[in-house]
Amino acid sequence: MKGLITIFERKTTIINKSGLHARPAATFVSESKKFDSTIMITNLDTGMSADAKSILLILTLSLTKGTNVAISAEGSDEVEAVNQLISLIDIGVGEESK
Amino acid sequence: MKTLCVDRTYSAGFAIARAYVVQDSSISADKNYIDDIDGHLFRFQAAVDKAIEALTLLSKTDDVFFAHLEIAQDPTLIKGVQSKIQKEYKNAEWALEETVRSFADLFLQMDDEYLRARGSDVLDVGHRIMMNLKGIDDKPLSGMSERAVIAARDLTPSDTVHMDRYLVEGILTEESSVTSHVSIMAKNLGIPALVAVKGLLENVHNGDLVIIDAQAGILIIDPDEDTEKEYIEKKEAWEKRTQKLNKLASLPSVTSDGKEIRLYANVGSITDIEQAVACHADGVGLFRTELLYMEQQDFPSEDMQYEIYKHAAELLGGKELIIRTLDIGGDKGLPYFDFGKEDNPFLGYRAIRLCLDRPDIFKTQLRAILRASCHGNVSIMYPMIISINELDTANALLETCKKELDTEGVQYNANVSIGMMIETPAAVILSERFAKKADFFSIGTNDLTQYMLAVDRGNNRISHMYQPLHPAVLQAISHVIQAGHKYNIPVGICGELAGDVNACEVLIGLGFDELSMSPSAIAEIKQVLRDTDAGKAKHLAEIALADDTISNIKINKR
Repeated sequence: MKGLITIFERKTTIINKSGLHARPAATFVSESKKFDSTIMITNLDTGMSADAKSILLILTLSLTKGTNVAISAEGSDEVEAVNQLISLIDIGVGEESK
Repeated sequence: MKTLCVDRTYSAGFAIARAYVVQDSSISADKNYIDDIDGHLFRFQAAVDKAIEALTLLSKTDDVFFAHLEIAQDPTLIKGVQSKIQKEYKNAEWALEETVRSFADLFLQMDDEYLRARGSDVLDVGHRIMMNLKGIDDKPLSGMSERAVIAARDLTPSDTVHMDRYLVEGILTEESSVTSHVSIMAKNLGIPALVAVKGLLENVHNGDLVIIDAQAGILIIDPDEDTEKEYIEKKEAWEKRTQKLNKLASLPSVTSDGKEIRLYANVGSITDIEQAVACHADGVGLFRTELLYMEQQDFPSEDMQYEIYKHAAELLGGKELIIRTLDIGGDKGLPYFDFGKEDNPFLGYRAIRLCLDRPDIFKTQLRAILRASCHGNVSIMYPMIISINELDTANALLETCKKELDTEGVQYNANVSIGMMIETPAAVILSERFAKKADFFSIGTNDLTQYMLAVDRGNNRISHMYQPLHPAVLQAISHVIQAGHKYNIPVGICGELAGDVNACEVLIGLGFDELSMSPSAIAEIKQVLRDTDAGKAKHLAEIALADDTISNIKINKR
């Protein structure tokens, strides 16, 4: 039955100079919360994953500049959620790119 | 020795004393096993909601709190606490403390220095929720027993109500802004204060010797001997100068060429009025009555208000007492009245709008003021007027009150003066029409500047754009003064600008009849006034009005 469960996933790289620290992490979380799907963010370099709606768990992933991440979602708006959050990371989560 | 600085200051003077840190950080939870799971879940949720509300406000001006706001809403944190309550039967405080601690530890163990520091964010948010949970914010200053400098995260009006001002050498806060209540209060009381001191509570501990240089915006913690000596000398010199100014204060308020300009005081309480009298104020240009309302558990009764207004009028002898009717709403709420959620409270249900909507509340105050009017020289002033209709409606309610008092055989002064604040662009533009109906104007430059320039003075990112001497504001002020004088009514100013020595000459030149300011500013303004030639000031004002920039006005200064 496993094949029936769909999980949508995409990968990218953190570009923020100081990584996904408090302010961008907060922005990221508030964006994640707009979706109904369960969303996970994974640090591909360490293999650790966290709930993308929890700022505390995201901070513990140590997402510094250059870290490869994956975002996966499962739910009614999974595709939209993943695409939206990937593009948010790709524009530096609203931070001036320095 | 360690030094912290702030960019903007509001009060003056020096303080050298031990720190009295208002505790909000070391609350330990009492640990109990509980039966009432739902009750504790509910209490926890309420404490979280309250924290979210406070952080939402704070996050608008400081980025740090944006992250704190997310932490307070973090599902893992919340679920963690809920699960300890539900499955381990721990009381809400215990569950919160354990959960917060485990998260903080997680961060403190990390390699990255930046992430280790996030542990303190978690603890900070945890404390905020814990304080709400334990209902601690009640009279934090009542435990002070000797002279000290208060250091606190923030001080609300209800905190400072319980402060013994004679024990307070200085005030330090980490979060408030220079335009906050605590900052204005400190200036009024002549207490040196620094607000928005970043890193304050991290660096200052209870009992530390601290030095405040309020004018320069410097806080020195644990000074070395030479520094302490240096500041003791500075403090003494400053106090001598202040004494000299105070002597000057008993001289009449006239320019060097003999033009009389009344120097009034802005006050919020009987204590302030006592200070205004001590500072030789020529009267009170603004009695902010909202503090009477904010300190109560319910709307103050007519009799209670009457006693206060009567006391105020008597303290001032025959000097004018301008009582501003309730100016609540905006950033000033009441614990017992629901203003509803507003996206733009400054453009919302406040001041005269509320009063005209709730004549029951308004009439109680009007009757109290009328009754007090026969005990001195009392005037009434309406805030936030934008249309003639509002002034007419307020006056009609006042007439109703007078008739009621007539019927009841209660005494009042039938000729009490009725003035209005000019603090909206609408009132500026209609000032000629208002001048036909009002007995006096008082320009509230704090709000007027804000509304004219569309700049929120509490927003740290744009507060530099809040310029009361902006050409548009000066034009507006000049227009209002001319409108008032055309119909022979006096025009005063009761914004903080009135107490600014740099603005004084321009204000005199613009033609104000009265300047109303913090009592502690009167002496210094009087010195400038007595050195100013009204003719020259008028010329300076003309240059300022014709100027396109703001900076030139300051260059033209002495």
